[in-house]
Amino acid sequence: MKKLDEIELLRKLCLLFGPSGCEGAVSEFISEEIKDCCDSLKKDRLGNIIAHIGSGSRKKIMLSAHMDEVGFMVTEVTDEGYLKFDTVGGIDNRVLSGKNVSVETKDGTVEGVIGSKPIHLKKSDEREKVPKTSSLYIDIGLSSKEGASDLGIDVGSYATFSSEFYEFGKDGGKIKGKALDDRLGCAVLILLMRELYGIRDTLPYDLYFCFTVREEIGISGAQVAAQTIMPDMAIVLETTAVADIAGTKDSAKVAIQGEGGAISLMDRSTIYDRPMVDALLAIAGRENIPVQIKKYVSGGNDASHIHKSGVGVRTLALSAPTRYLHSPACVVDKEDYFSMIKLLSALLVSDVLAAI
Amino acid sequence: MYNTLKTLCLIPSVSGRETAVSAKLSEIISPYADSVFTDNMGNLIAKKEGKGENKKKIMLCAHMDEIGFLVTYIQDNGFIRVSSVGGISLVAAYAAGVVSEKGVHGIVICESGVKSSDFSADKFIIDIGAKNKKDAERRVKIGDFFVVEPSLRRLTSSRVSGRPLDDRVGCAVLISIAEALSEKELAHDVYYVFSVQEEVGCRGAKPASFAIAPDYALIYDVTGTGDAEGAKPMACSVGKGAAIKIKDSSVICHREVVEMLTEIAKEKKIPYQHEILTYGGTDTSSVQMTGMGCKAGALSIPTRYIHTQNELCDLNDAKACADLTVEFINQLK
Amino acid sequence: MELKELIFSLCSLMTVSSFEEGSFDELKRLLNNDFDEIKQDAVGNIILLRKCNKENPPKILVDTHFDEIGMMVTDVKEGGFLSVTSIGGLDRSILQASDVVIYGKEKLRGVIASTPPHLRGSGDSDKTVPIDELLIDTGYSKEEICELVPIGSAVGFAPRYTELLDGCIAGKSFDDKACAAVALHALSKISADELAGDVYLVLSCHEETVRIGGIAPAAFSLDPDYAMVIDVNFARTPDTPKAETLELKGGVSIAHSPITDRRLTLMTEELCRSKDIKFARVAAPSTTGTNTPALNLVGRGVPTVDIGLPIKSMHTYNEILNLEDAETLGALLREFVCSNEIKEAFAE
Repeated sequence: MKKLDEIELLRKLCLLFGPSGCEGAVSEFISEEIKDCCDSLKKDRLGNIIAHIGSGSRKKIMLSAHMDEVGFMVTEVTDEGYLKFDTVGGIDNRVLSGKNVSVETKDGTVEGVIGSKPIHLKKSDEREKVPKTSSLYIDIGLSSKEGASDLGIDVGSYATFSSEFYEFGKDGGKIKGKALDDRLGCAVLILLMRELYGIRDTLPYDLYFCFTVREEIGISGAQVAAQTIMPDMAIVLETTAVADIAGTKDSAKVAIQGEGGAISLMDRSTIYDRPMVDALLAIAGRENIPVQIKKYVSGGNDASHIHKSGVGVRTLALSAPTRYLHSPACVVDKEDYFSMIKLLSALLVSDVLAAI
Repeated sequence: MYNTLKTLCLIPSVSGRETAVSAKLSEIISPYADSVFTDNMGNLIAKKEGKGENKKKIMLCAHMDEIGFLVTYIQDNGFIRVSSVGGISLVAAYAAGVVSEKGVHGIVICESGVKSSDFSADKFIIDIGAKNKKDAERRVKIGDFFVVEPSLRRLTSSRVSGRPLDDRVGCAVLISIAEALSEKELAHDVYYVFSVQEEVGCRGAKPASFAIAPDYALIYDVTGTGDAEGAKPMACSVGKGAAIKIKDSSVICHREVVEMLTEIAKEKKIPYQHEILTYGGTDTSSVQMTGMGCKAGALSIPTRYIHTQNELCDLNDAKACADLTVEFINQLK
Repeated sequence: MELKELIFSLCSLMTVSSFEEGSFDELKRLLNNDFDEIKQDAVGNIILLRKCNKENPPKILVDTHFDEIGMMVTDVKEGGFLSVTSIGGLDRSILQASDVVIYGKEKLRGVIASTPPHLRGSGDSDKTVPIDELLIDTGYSKEEICELVPIGSAVGFAPRYTELLDGCIAGKSFDDKACAAVALHALSKISADELAGDVYLVLSCHEETVRIGGIAPAAFSLDPDYAMVIDVNFARTPDTPKAETLELKGGVSIAHSPITDRRLTLMTEELCRSKDIKFARVAAPSTTGTNTPALNLVGRGVPTVDIGLPIKSMHTYNEILNLEDAETLGALLREFVCSNEIKEAFAE
């Protein structure tokens, strides 16, 4: 099998259907991609994939990225065949109206649109307001409830944004797609595995690559993965909101696109291990790889569940600065993606983490 | 206890950066313990072995972190932007002297023109007297922590004020228990846990209790009182003894522990009161349901003006917590 | 004992969160040796075991929480009135003029004080009273009540059960002891040979009060292969939204949620279809308000299906259920613990 290059791999990953709790398609794809570059591969009871590179005798490092994306769940099928829904994970109401979505059926998905009342029929005060999720509906073109049940669509069926993946901007340096949060992290892990598996005997660590479920709803499968592995250290690969667009005050810019992966010092649910942060900064300096410190304290990720698990895990997070997170049009900079891979690879072949 | 408490209060120790106070605590408690170690999270755990046949594991826990500020950005003009760490009262912190973990002094202020009711951490700035960004960067880095300047003084022979009593007074109680038990042969294993990251959501005590898997756990922390002028009614006062916690908003303590502590206090004439806090939480909640779970209780030191630069407590209450615990360990079957 | 009597008996026990253990002996008396083991753990869970007659049996965990909402005495005021704080999500709009029982050194009756319309200020009648301003009238003087009721004593709603028409019953703490009664009743009637595995029924504590309740330590020590969480769910009334509620007498609810196991959920639905057990799907797009999130993340992870019994007026002292739904729940639980297909799919 020909190996996909970095961008094609990311494209394939982003286009997969995988809202929280329904990561099967993503997990199948990833398992296939990594089966030849790890010493063991298993899927745990919640659906996390755990791939091990190493002999089991060295310091254990867990690397984790989540497979799930934000999405929707059908809460009611109306008699006319419309699908009422609620969000799975945090989505701003302002990005919902009029968007394309894919809805899960018993075999594959069908396309749909989140309907919107024509502006002509909206009263003037309605025009200023963003509709509540409870008043929105997905239209898949049906006119009866029976049509939905024939397709296997019912209460509990999942949907996601349906959105093109493309390169744009100067020299095609930016990538736009849905689910970059956190398929980009998954892609980084897969590429690292390809790179490190060949030199596994020389690595100073036992590496556990975890592709986790349900990060977006906060009741995260990563906790169970960490409880199973019981690692000494963990590195979480993520995307972070950047707020670097025009009009943002410098002190409120979380990170700047194109200046490398963002290292977290603290967010709403984790204070990161300072010696690990310093080690990563030192490697970046030595190898001359761009990296930045995330400047604003916000959000949270799987580190929250991992670092408190078991007897405690020293934890680090590295994130790709990403614009318009949790929308159908997330944007990342290719250079950040590439430099994250380079930086982690340099970190994991060196023994700095063994010494702290 | 005053001197130990003062020593502990004066070492800045924001959540996630507790190493300095941990080193001091380790030095103080080592003579009273059989082993001392630091876990992955940074919790300091000292153990004294018990010799009984049917020995139980008893975990005593106080947190060693405090609230403060994290440096997130340094402006061109040398002012420092921060994020708050833990539930800091910005109204109380306004215009207070602050000091960084590296000993850099400054003043925490708000952008001008903001009403105190609109205070939020992203409008707060630390002024370290720097001429510009470059000057500031020589002394402060992004990621450094600041605390409101620590202090401790006696108001009366037993009442003290200063910061951070929350929860160095709990740490001082643990040390006083360890000292009292040090010469005794104990029936049970006693673990003294100085936990990290309580102020940001009780994060440290959970892995510590997972590792120890105690049968019983007692948590020592400050609690609000109903005796400050205009305070919400609450039957808990400074100076009326150890506060045996029944409930707070995050936990209901194990009844056996509450009843046993109450009986012992009555029998040994140790001043005590009961605490039902309708807000706030402590490490007790993290410890109770971790692993296979344990019988968890808490002894609180009633404290006024918590999370300001002048917290106030009575050391007689702290002593009562220590005395009560020593008897509890002696009597536990 | 008939199911209806067992529901009334269990729901009459005082099991306000953290006081569950007081009911342990009474519970044992109600059970007459139907279980192979019954024990209480460190945090207060009651765990009952039904063994199957199989080699290396899988462990099936069934959770119904045993605690109920209530109040706790915080202070004694002049005139012998008691101040309280709430335990669990108490609806303050139902409290005034309610009958309560105060569980002090002895059981006392009390009434929650209310303001007669003649004395209230204008506009007051549509505001709920903050819990710390409510008073319980005990009929004793302050000196007497201080002796009888220590601070920290539990206060519960007075048990009173009413039979309504068409198989409906009303009373307190059907959440979740009606489900516990159904589970005890159903499990006691299955022979060991029929069971697909060893069944651990956890009557769990502290569900109503904390984010991670007693189920977490119970599951950590049991390490089950798969689990069913049974709690109450919202039955439809004129004042509730259709999308979030169930038809009474429409059978049990089966939750579809990111935190439940999809395969187990679908297999359970299939079981219902093949055995003519009535159910309705409900969507829980973020999480369920039950023990499932706490249970699911324990240890190596626990594949869980989340089942609901529809009741009306949840968290009041007159919750309403229909016995037909209770029977349906019992039938589903029976099929679930006897299902070899599910066992084959999930036993390790």
